[in-house]
Amino acid sequence: MQKANQTEKWLLFLILTAIGIFMVFPMVWMMLSSLKTTEEVLGSTMTLLPRDPQWGNYSGALELAPFLNYIWNSLFTATTIVIVQLFLSSLLAYALTQMAFRGRQTLFTVILATYMLPAAATYVPSYVIISRMDLMDTLAGLIVSNLVNVFTIFLLRQNFLKIPKELIEAARADGSSEWRILWEIVVPMSRNALINASILSFIGNFNNYLWPSLITNSEENYLISVGLNRFFNSQGAFGDTFPLIMAATVISVFPLILIYVLLQKHFIGTISSGSGVKG
Amino acid sequence: MNKKSSVLELIVFVWIPLIPLIVFWIVPLLVTVWLSFTDWDYIRPQFDYVGLENYVGLITDVAFFQAMGNTILFALATVIPILFLGFIFAVGLNRLRKTKNIVQSLMFAPWITPMIGMSIVWSWMFDARVGPINQFLGGLGLPQPDWLTDSNMAIWAVVIVTVWKNIGWAMLFFSDALSKIPSALFEVSDVEGASRWHRVRYILIPLVSPTSLFLFIILTLDSLQAYDQINVLTQGGPAGSTRTLLYLYYELAFQSFNMGAATAVAVLILIISAMLALFSMKISKKYVFY
Repeated sequence: MQKANQTEKWLLFLILTAIGIFMVFPMVWMMLSSLKTTEEVLGSTMTLLPRDPQWGNYSGALELAPFLNYIWNSLFTATTIVIVQLFLSSLLAYALTQMAFRGRQTLFTVILATYMLPAAATYVPSYVIISRMDLMDTLAGLIVSNLVNVFTIFLLRQNFLKIPKELIEAARADGSSEWRILWEIVVPMSRNALINASILSFIGNFNNYLWPSLITNSEENYLISVGLNRFFNSQGAFGDTFPLIMAATVISVFPLILIYVLLQKHFIGTISSGSGVKG
Repeated sequence: MNKKSSVLELIVFVWIPLIPLIVFWIVPLLVTVWLSFTDWDYIRPQFDYVGLENYVGLITDVAFFQAMGNTILFALATVIPILFLGFIFAVGLNRLRKTKNIVQSLMFAPWITPMIGMSIVWSWMFDARVGPINQFLGGLGLPQPDWLTDSNMAIWAVVIVTVWKNIGWAMLFFSDALSKIPSALFEVSDVEGASRWHRVRYILIPLVSPTSLFLFIILTLDSLQAYDQINVLTQGGPAGSTRTLLYLYYELAFQSFNMGAATAVAVLILIISAMLALFSMKISKKYVFY
């Protein structure tokens, strides 16, 4: 009996590992292809490993389009957005959980409703608003239009609710202002929730495509997602530059893989505490 | 909580954080509804009210029904496999010990990658002649479809990429739900000699059903918003076979600048989403463990 169980465990392990490898196969394939020559890629016999790694494909891709600049734009906008979102969402989540005012429940319902609705439905008017604000084709336009993240508000509200009321009452009795209670008591106690919200929002913003592709149209303002897709389309049908396209794609995916490997614990343990990002 | 907040506090804690929500969510949603009753074309400053003309135009348009059908097909064909496979993987992983984390990380990895970049990779994998998928199928002596250029296959290519990217995400939620099931329940079932199927049927499935319902709603709402993979893989083609409602909306608004018709499509997407959202709120109240 014990033995049968053991074989079964091994079998299960093998099957699941095979599935796991299958799941990352597109990423592996991308990396291997980025080091191949065009002939190898187009050849009728498929090879897994590059015969002679073509590291020059990377500098070749960087010469054709300013990918590092695109990456910088994505990192900069995503980081700025995350910081402002955390600040604004903390304030609002605090108001929703710890302050008394008329219409609090209604406010929460309105926020809840927008969470479920597709962001794309707002794009036509938002496009006009951005152009009226004279922020068309600027990173600032991208930033201001993404400052609200309803999911972050939720996640923080959820956590702020868990903070013992006595603690806040005691601080109030000591004469602390709401501002100080939020930043000196509530926020430090919600560190994990803030980190999780930042990671999710960062990934969402870094990977965001449709909206940035609508409001940016000059190379210096492209995010990596937009720049990469424009590059892909400008290279026409597949062919000669395929390994360069793969090299460019590796460059665009790399920051996320790095974050994933470094922050592994936060991903697996806590993503299920919420439900991802919009965008 | 006893004393009312002061005006200054309300401005700082409520009104300032609400500005972006109002400017880029609430106002645009209302304007979208309003524009759907006009014939605005974005170029001209003036426009006329046309009543329900945009909506009538849609329901007399074959392309609209095709997009509606594609949207429903896409939703079902992505959500069901994601839920099913996510559940199966989670059940399997739950029985591993030391190796669980590494296998789980591999399975979850697709979710964090950018849809644009990975769709570019997939569009190559789907290449009819030299792509690895068809080389593999050919090696097994199976038919090699023209994935992206055959109007019967293209939607399945988009479905495969979407399922691939989201299984890991659903799996994490199921793993979390499974880890919360008291192990005593399984011990009891062991003592009573319940078969493996009985365990799945009478312990696992009922206890993860709130998670499944939640995932079902979120994944369906997500599927309504799929854009990146369609844009890279097929751009709605061939012959409109991968054009969903959202893609139709994008084409009407930002390619043909027919804002009236575009916003009418947006309103329909909004109504579908709102119905799903209401449905989920109603039903979630009935469940105790959430």
